Amino acid sequence: MRFRAVTIVVAVGAALWAGAAPAQSLDEILAKNYQARGGLERITSVSSARITGTMSMGGGMEAPFVWQWKRPNKLRLEFTLQGMTGVQAYDGQTGWMVMPFMGSSDPEKMPEDQLADIREQADFDGDLVNWKEKGHQVELVGKEKVEGTDAYKLKVTKKNGDVSYVFLDAEYFLEIRGEGKRTLRGQEVEYESSVGDYKEVGGLLIPHAMSTKAKGMPGGQTLTFSRVELDVPLEDSLFAMPAASKGAAPSR
Amino acid sequence: MRTVLGFVVWCACWLAAGHVSASEGIKITSDTFGGLSARALGPAVMSGRITAIDAVPGAPLTLYVGTASGGVWKSSDAGTTFKPVFDEHIQSIGALRVDPQEPRTVWVGTGECNVRNSVSVGDGVYRSQDAGKTWQRVGLSASERIAAIGVHPKDSRTVYVCALGPLWSAGEERGVFKTTDGGTTWRKVLYVNDSTGCSDLAMDPQEPRILYAGMWQVRRWPDFFQSGGPGSGLYRSVDGGETWKELTTGLPAGEKGRIAVAVAPSRPSVVYALVEAAKTALYRSENLGESFTLVNSSTNVSIRPFYFAHLVVDPSDHNTVYKPGLALAVSTDGGASFTLPILGGGNVHPDHHALWINPRDRNELFLGTDGGVYHSFDRGRRWRFLRSLPVAQFYHVGVDLERPYNVYGGLQDNGTWKGPSRAPAGVQNRHWENIGYGDGFWAFPDPEDPRRVYVEYQGGNILRVDTRLGELRDITPYAGAGEAELRFNWNTPIHLSPNERGTVYVGAQYLFRSRDRGDSWERISPDLTTNDPRRQRQKQSGGLTIDNSTAENNTTIYAIGEAPGEPGVIWVGTDDGLLQLTRDGGRTWANLIDRIPGVPRGTWVSSVTPSAHVRGRAYVTLDGHRSGDFATYLFRTDDYGATWTPLATPEIEGYAWVIKEDPLAANLLFLGTEFGLYVSLDGGARWARFAGGIPKVAVHDMVIHPREGDLVVATHGRGIYILDDLTPLRALSAATLDEEVALLPSREVEIPILASRQEFNGDDEFVGTNPPEAAVITYWLKKRHIFGDLKLEIYDAEGRRVSTVPASQRAGLNRVAWPMRLPPPKLPPASVLAPAFLGPRVAEGTYTVKLVKGATTVAGEITLVADSRTPHSPEDRAAQQRLAMQLYEELASLTYLVDSLVELREQARQRAGRLPARDGLRRQLEAYADELEKIRPTLVSTSEAGWLSGDEQLREKLAALYSAVTNYGGRPTASQLDRFSLLQGELATVRGKVEALQGGQLPALNSRLKTRRLEPLVPLSRESWQARQDTMRPDGGARHAPSAAVFSRLFAAFTAALLR
Repeated sequence: MRFRAVTIVVAVGAALWAGAAPAQSLDEILAKNYQARGGLERITSVSSARITGTMSMGGGMEAPFVWQWKRPNKLRLEFTLQGMTGVQAYDGQTGWMVMPFMGSSDPEKMPEDQLADIREQADFDGDLVNWKEKGHQVELVGKEKVEGTDAYKLKVTKKNGDVSYVFLDAEYFLEIRGEGKRTLRGQEVEYESSVGDYKEVGGLLIPHAMSTKAKGMPGGQTLTFSRVELDVPLEDSLFAMPAASKGAAPSR
Repeated sequence: MRTVLGFVVWCACWLAAGHVSASEGIKITSDTFGGLSARALGPAVMSGRITAIDAVPGAPLTLYVGTASGGVWKSSDAGTTFKPVFDEHIQSIGALRVDPQEPRTVWVGTGECNVRNSVSVGDGVYRSQDAGKTWQRVGLSASERIAAIGVHPKDSRTVYVCALGPLWSAGEERGVFKTTDGGTTWRKVLYVNDSTGCSDLAMDPQEPRILYAGMWQVRRWPDFFQSGGPGSGLYRSVDGGETWKELTTGLPAGEKGRIAVAVAPSRPSVVYALVEAAKTALYRSENLGESFTLVNSSTNVSIRPFYFAHLVVDPSDHNTVYKPGLALAVSTDGGASFTLPILGGGNVHPDHHALWINPRDRNELFLGTDGGVYHSFDRGRRWRFLRSLPVAQFYHVGVDLERPYNVYGGLQDNGTWKGPSRAPAGVQNRHWENIGYGDGFWAFPDPEDPRRVYVEYQGGNILRVDTRLGELRDITPYAGAGEAELRFNWNTPIHLSPNERGTVYVGAQYLFRSRDRGDSWERISPDLTTNDPRRQRQKQSGGLTIDNSTAENNTTIYAIGEAPGEPGVIWVGTDDGLLQLTRDGGRTWANLIDRIPGVPRGTWVSSVTPSAHVRGRAYVTLDGHRSGDFATYLFRTDDYGATWTPLATPEIEGYAWVIKEDPLAANLLFLGTEFGLYVSLDGGARWARFAGGIPKVAVHDMVIHPREGDLVVATHGRGIYILDDLTPLRALSAATLDEEVALLPSREVEIPILASRQEFNGDDEFVGTNPPEAAVITYWLKKRHIFGDLKLEIYDAEGRRVSTVPASQRAGLNRVAWPMRLPPPKLPPASVLAPAFLGPRVAEGTYTVKLVKGATTVAGEITLVADSRTPHSPEDRAAQQRLAMQLYEELASLTYLVDSLVELREQARQRAGRLPARDGLRRQLEAYADELEKIRPTLVSTSEAGWLSGDEQLREKLAALYSAVTNYGGRPTASQLDRFSLLQGELATVRGKVEALQGGQLPALNSRLKTRRLEPLVPLSRESWQARQDTMRPDGGARHAPSAAVFSRLFAAFTAALLR
């Protein structure tokens, strides 16, 4: 029910605004985005999150995952394939992983390019929230069609120089698409992602489906969230790299 | 057959339900088609005409390739892989230049200047400032053709454009243009007259204020070509293009034609000019063009000067000059003599238009030909063909009824080819088979004997090829006694009768019919053209240099269409603007062109398509571009041509090549123009461009596969595209488009045989995309889905949900692939992965599809049938299903067993941990846990050595058997059945041990735990295990065999998706 209430508020707000002003400034658009998501105050007050879902890789391949985050920047991703669970985690300083699929389940340090990515993932609020404090640049590029739907295109230049684009639905001001470049295994890969299935969780509208693929290529992966929990108690130890062998993987 | 029946039944229902009449119209835009996307089949085995190459030297080398009608392609790895970067714009490229100072700035001049009869048209100059990612058109939109671009080496804002201008008409946007503000404003700095444009531009690299420009008077008509005239000449500016002076000393005095000019980079006082004239020759100046000396007029330099006019001087040797032409000629003595570097080796497609020499290594060349790009490391002696540029220029396309069906078609300067519509691991270059030579056009397999294919080469040379033997039989009709010499179009129509097998039509000025596959011909018409002698000048065509290649043959038949279901009703269109109809098999003919309103007299009839639905209905397209008229002409008659309705709307861009009517849905029409593919759902009242996967490329022909219902599109510049399964488009009505959400029907889906190939071919070859090995489900969303769930659920006949597939959310049509498999099998954790990543395929039958969108659910059906090629009987397929499902279940049982064992072990350890170290119960619990743990290594691999450890337990053995059984579609072997019984027995034995441990000691342990106020040990029940699986498994649905790469993909996806 709360989900519906939020939707209505957003819709009415958008309609009122649409009648009032033909052009939007970046600040206005961002304000609408925060409001649509549940308000800046609520966004930044989330202390932790746990997302449970499945990744579908096309062709029938799929893997369940659990993604856990704790403010300010702790992150742990577990995904399971054939009952074996891989872990990728970051405690704010050290990135590490456990890849038990080829025998060894010892934790190991993460390669630098993956670490760069996970550091960014650890910003649960997203690039658009408090972007000035984070040292990013955000610009309004203009209004464009995203797969037939009007959207505002925002250019985000991160503190480290990476450029990405966020597309906000022009009616609801929620993100529906992202584009950018990632460095993976030393290679630059341009990606595009689609975001949707927003549902209300703990006062926030959170997407429950994301698909991503290399730009211009067929295929790609879809993440479907079956459960999103906010403000769950998560121990710091969950994110720290275990000292001993086997300690990281779920006990089996 | 079942597929066809399915279509027919469905169509009958749909028609009965009443569809929207054309007068109401169905409002559509490109977005209506949403996620519907055509797949590119290629090929790249023979590429297409290349017009411009530029590169950024460095490691790795970045290469840009401009093509005659296939856009711009970029390679960031020295030509190993390419991607198209100009798909939203006109595909005909005349010039391409990378800013030497700012290599992220790239200039493209659209409109090719090798003005052969089939040349396309451009719409101005484009600039990219992000290395080809995005493009802005910055001017000269009426220039139509751009031959060269010069960028000032030290001032990126100063750029010169050499515009040839309109070809089929006079026009003033031609000559040399200059910008000094990076393209914001342009000034015409050199202009001769409205029929003379710029053919080449060269800049002095040391003193960029010195410029040379070749000016060319040239014109085409539908029936004639004129290269040369008083306007042509070579000009020089010494003040940055502000003023120009014609250079005449030493150059031929009379009329000149196309002129190429090049400055030697290592000694810019040396200038070479190739001048078409009464005697075409290469001239050399050693004094900045003040005076020239004729140095060579051999065939190597003088051949076909309107088509081959390009000179490239070696970057470090002013005496080495390359002349791309019929072959690549090179002189090392300042032009005095030329030789072919490929003599003694080398194998490249003839007809060369572009050459790039690496300024850092003069041995490295990239050569652009009529058949693609080649790369040499030894100055052109040996060449590597770049196999990843699918820019084939098809004229026409045909299909057969094989499974999978094959696609046939002829290409500009690249013969005739046959290739499969799909192949294991994608359609590769090696799958394409050459079945005809020269310039290829129409190609049809004989419906009764598909190994016999009708092909042709330019100017009406008709052949029947035995594709198995490669033997060609010339079946060209000859003029009879007392008949005029036959006149055949460059692109002579061959037409198979839709009503009589074995009946073939060929058009000269007469229509010929053969009822014996071309062995004998019967003339069934008088001269159907104007026979106007003023349009029969091909023997004088060419201008200064006669060029009678049949390309200007005129007053010929160009289009033929016999009405399906009405034998003897035959339409004929001619290249001189007549539209003829016979309704009595050729005894009498009527010219109906005057009944068509608003088309200039003499306009070329580009296609005529009789309806398969309504007697007397036909569609015709006309094309006046060869007279400078770029309008879209498109008409329908419902009364055998007495009256015509214009169908062109402002949404359509480009002159029209072809129109096709869907064989099942009468109002579904497809139109190919010079600038793309268009679709109408309402009989032509409204049109929208179909942009899904198809660039703005010329669509010259199409065929709708009679069995599969695929739209096969022949593009002139980007090869073949296939839009799979038109069933949803056939069902798309105005009522559907009014719905918020609607599920559309799909054709019957064949569960494809799992063909596998082990290939490690590298990345340097284009591979045509296969259709997904999945049931493709199409649905309509009026608006983008943003809030709440959107998913597809698949239910079997018993109402059990077998699969849930994530759905796409875009507005318009969406297509989602259901892999026709159950979720991946459950496996217990172990130390290695096992070969069981995918669920078993579901059984054949009809499934219910539910599209869940928030609170709304819409349902439909999809029917899965066996691969029509399957050698396995239904019983054998059922036996495979049975064992696959048993193994699937057994793997789940094993997983439950291991999970329950581990859980009990953990409970015991946990309780033990809460007791003092020397406590007797603690020791008992630890012993109990150890006993449980001892069982685990017999169920799953536990060796930390991992892969290749040889540690194979029940899990690995069952998974291997599962893999063997599920990768084959037929009856399992007796050995597999035995093996299954054996493994099942082993599992039962272990299960017995576990149950004994759960039964025997457990009650006693639990009562002791109770006395110590500790929770009892509770074995995991199968039910609660199952419930846990169900909640854990959020629903969901690789073409690639899973491998270690899977994990990197997981990470990549996660990272990208969560990073916002």
